[in-house]
Amino acid sequence: MNKVCQLVAVALFAVGCAAPEIKKAPVASNDLVAEGKKLIAAAPNRDKILWRYRVALVAMKSGRFAEARQLLDECLPTVGAILTADERTIKARSLFGNEAQKIYVGESYEQAMAYFYRGLLYWMDGEPDNARACFKSAQLIDGDAKDKSFASDFVLLDYLDGLATTKLLGDGGDMLRRARASAKTNALPDYVASANVLVFTQFGFGPLKYGGGKYGERLQYHAGYSPVFAARFKMGEQMVEAKALDDLTFQATTRGGRLMDDILADKGSLKKPLDAIATVAPLAGAVLAGPKETRGAALPLIGAGIAAGAVSNTAEAMADTRTWNNLPQHLAFAAFRLPPGPQVVAIEFLDRDGKPLPKLSRTLTFEVRADRDTVLFISDQ
Amino acid sequence: MIRTTCTTATAVALLAALTAGCGTTGMNPHGVNVTEMKADERGFVAGTGIESQDLVAVADKMARSILATTQIANAQGKPNIVLEPVVNETRFPINKEIFLTRIRVALNTKAGGKVTFLARDRMDALEKERDLKQTGKVTGGTPNAPVEFKGADFILTGKLQGISTRSNTGASDYVLYTFQLIDPRTSAILWEDFAEIKKQGQSDAVYR
Repeated sequence: MNKVCQLVAVALFAVGCAAPEIKKAPVASNDLVAEGKKLIAAAPNRDKILWRYRVALVAMKSGRFAEARQLLDECLPTVGAILTADERTIKARSLFGNEAQKIYVGESYEQAMAYFYRGLLYWMDGEPDNARACFKSAQLIDGDAKDKSFASDFVLLDYLDGLATTKLLGDGGDMLRRARASAKTNALPDYVASANVLVFTQFGFGPLKYGGGKYGERLQYHAGYSPVFAARFKMGEQMVEAKALDDLTFQATTRGGRLMDDILADKGSLKKPLDAIATVAPLAGAVLAGPKETRGAALPLIGAGIAAGAVSNTAEAMADTRTWNNLPQHLAFAAFRLPPGPQVVAIEFLDRDGKPLPKLSRTLTFEVRADRDTVLFISDQ
Repeated sequence: MIRTTCTTATAVALLAALTAGCGTTGMNPHGVNVTEMKADERGFVAGTGIESQDLVAVADKMARSILATTQIANAQGKPNIVLEPVVNETRFPINKEIFLTRIRVALNTKAGGKVTFLARDRMDALEKERDLKQTGKVTGGTPNAPVEFKGADFILTGKLQGISTRSNTGASDYVLYTFQLIDPRTSAILWEDFAEIKKQGQSDAVYR
């Protein structure tokens, strides 16, 4: 018996000493697009579009436009569809469901940016009319702002819509006027139909969502940030400056009027009395438990307090804060004419006062195509 | 005792009423198997944009209309038609050749050889083949043979235009499809027809 006890003791000791299982860190390459695709594959269905957005932009910054095109094409049919009720949306609306249970398609400014990038890629492929279609869709998506003065007010989308129309031998004048009205003091150049090099530039870090209010029920934004406010391109004797035309923090914060905000506010207002019951009822029950004649009412009160607390804790009022977190803060654009063949452009990024930020300066070698516009995509990040 | 039971029952009822909100009457919670559909059927993945059923309906209407036109119905010989990509002015990116391809196929199927379509979109390959033949590198050619590529009697083209609105009450898209048969010699529009489709819808509240 003693031996058995000793064996058991040794076994228990050995179990206690068992070395923890060492899991090897997943092998990661330096290929951010490939790693991003793994994240897309591993993401739950409701988050796949979010990851595709992010990886598509990584691919664009890496010059891997075919992959970006494919990723955006996987997102846009859903983003452009009429998304009707299903199990997820019913859960997201219910008291105990989280908004983030719905399929992510992004807020208006994120959807607009997905169309913007797809439009850029269409133009790159020599399809300015399909590019224009994307810019129109993007601007329309921005059209349901609560305050109509902020509806469809992306400067660049109207400007590019008009430029594409001009290049397709139409009249882009209306769109240029709309863009100038939205740009306010920012001067927009007239269209030059013969410009064959189109430079799409973006600066800084875009806005990030967070849940404000007592229960995180208010969708709010940390403002984006950019030390860069313009880019300057030098090609031989030519010098062109592209100033920031659109501010994504402005676009994100001027939509307002989400129907889901009302649903979340309702959830929050339901949680408040439940929290009050959960706090007060057990205390009142404890007080009533003292005197013999009120003791009978104490237990139900305590029970109701516990139940209210449980219901309140299970209720979900948190806003969906999933964010396309590698978007820029500013968008800019420049167009100029260069002869076909290899070209070199020196790029300087300028701060608010127009002073160059030398650390960000770079040169870019590219080929100007003879058969279509040459589209360049340049990001300071 | 009775009071205790009643109060507990009220608490339970309150809890039940609150939890009722989280009941799921899920639609397709486990997804939907791949379903083969007719191209002219409206699928369950739907938007207000240009979809396959629109393509089929519009292309069939245009093909019937072209065949009924006097220039085709009473033509001496077989008129040669060249397709020019449609102009897309809507907010929907499309494959610009797909409408004309669908119309061409419908005409070829229904017209019984009344018209000939010229493969201008294959000119590079055709010229290469002609050059190979003319230089004797492949059979079937005659050196310095006259040009045999046919000119067009008609150019078939079209335009897609749209009006779109969007608000928190939903999205609406109207698309006007117009197609024309043009005489390239005179620039006269010999035939023109249109189709129009309007769609509207509203997404679930969680997406608005």
